Amino acid sequence: MNSLQKGFLFVAVALVALAMGFYFNSQPEPEVSDAGAQSVASDASPNAALKTELANLAGGKASLSQWQGKVMVVNFWATWCAPCRKEIPEFIRMQTALEARGVQFVGIAIDETDKVRQYAQEARINYPILIGEFDATELGKVLGNNVGGLPFTVIFDRSGRVVKTILGGTNESHLTPILQPYL
Amino acid sequence: MKVQDQRRRALLSVVLVLASLGSASLDAAEGELLDAARAFPMTARYDGRTILVRFDVADGYYLYRDKLRFSTEPGTVKLGKPVLPRGEIRKDEFFGRVEVYRGSVEIKLSLTSGSPPGQVTLKTVSQGCADAGVCYTPREERLTVVSGGGPVSTPGPRTPGGRSLLEELGGKP
Repeated sequence: MNSLQKGFLFVAVALVALAMGFYFNSQPEPEVSDAGAQSVASDASPNAALKTELANLAGGKASLSQWQGKVMVVNFWATWCAPCRKEIPEFIRMQTALEARGVQFVGIAIDETDKVRQYAQEARINYPILIGEFDATELGKVLGNNVGGLPFTVIFDRSGRVVKTILGGTNESHLTPILQPYL
Repeated sequence: MKVQDQRRRALLSVVLVLASLGSASLDAAEGELLDAARAFPMTARYDGRTILVRFDVADGYYLYRDKLRFSTEPGTVKLGKPVLPRGEIRKDEFFGRVEVYRGSVEIKLSLTSGSPPGQVTLKTVSQGCADAGVCYTPREERLTVVSGGGPVSTPGPRTPGGRSLLEELGGKP
């Protein structure tokens, strides 16, 4: 290969690199966005957060503490939130696949109970759903959702410590390696 | 140094610069999201008969046209049907074709009560999302406008704050 050919090769590589950069940047709604991802240290009082009582679909009250001891994936969502709807089928699949390994998904809907109940039936959500308004929003804030956006997903290890938060959509290929060390 | 080596190094630099340009804006896209008050600042002004409401939606964010609600306090002041400009059609995977507002949008609200008051408190509910794939809870805001008193704004990009509907419901300051 002479120097001219090598030059062309370099330019070709450069163009491919540039094109890849633009391609990834131009995705209007990235499949995975962990823009707000951050580790929340123990000062976020996860224990208090775990004890926060919210309404459940049965009309009673429940808190996240009942699933402590499992690797918990807590997903804040709403029926009116399109990116939330997109990721829920992934969570349903993962709940089935990872249940035996101690993973528990929990949905926290910031929405009206009737709409949540209807959607949960239609989508066949196979994990527990809690519902809230101000109380659920506050819980999200304590867990690191400063912007107040949805979807927002929080991963707790078996001791109840927050190990990862994700603001924006996620999916199975993104979540699996995050969960892996805690299984 | 041989001329050939110099050329090779120069080309390598070009490759590295181009590659870094390509990834720079990817990092920017993953930057911090605005809170709803900064993403959807609102301004209103009142001329004694009409309230003109303007949203200045930040770049990369949009408001749902059909989620906008307007009312007044006290409720004795009635509003006619809001004059909502056409929005941009967004094809949503779950909600089909939805109309959204980007950039600046002005909405005209006419008072229909017999004797218009000198001052009105406008209550607005709005809901929007970021293109980055994050949506905000419905937001309720109040603006008190005085007839001929100039525009009044909700906290915008420079003064973040405001309260969400859920905060209102929770009754916290």
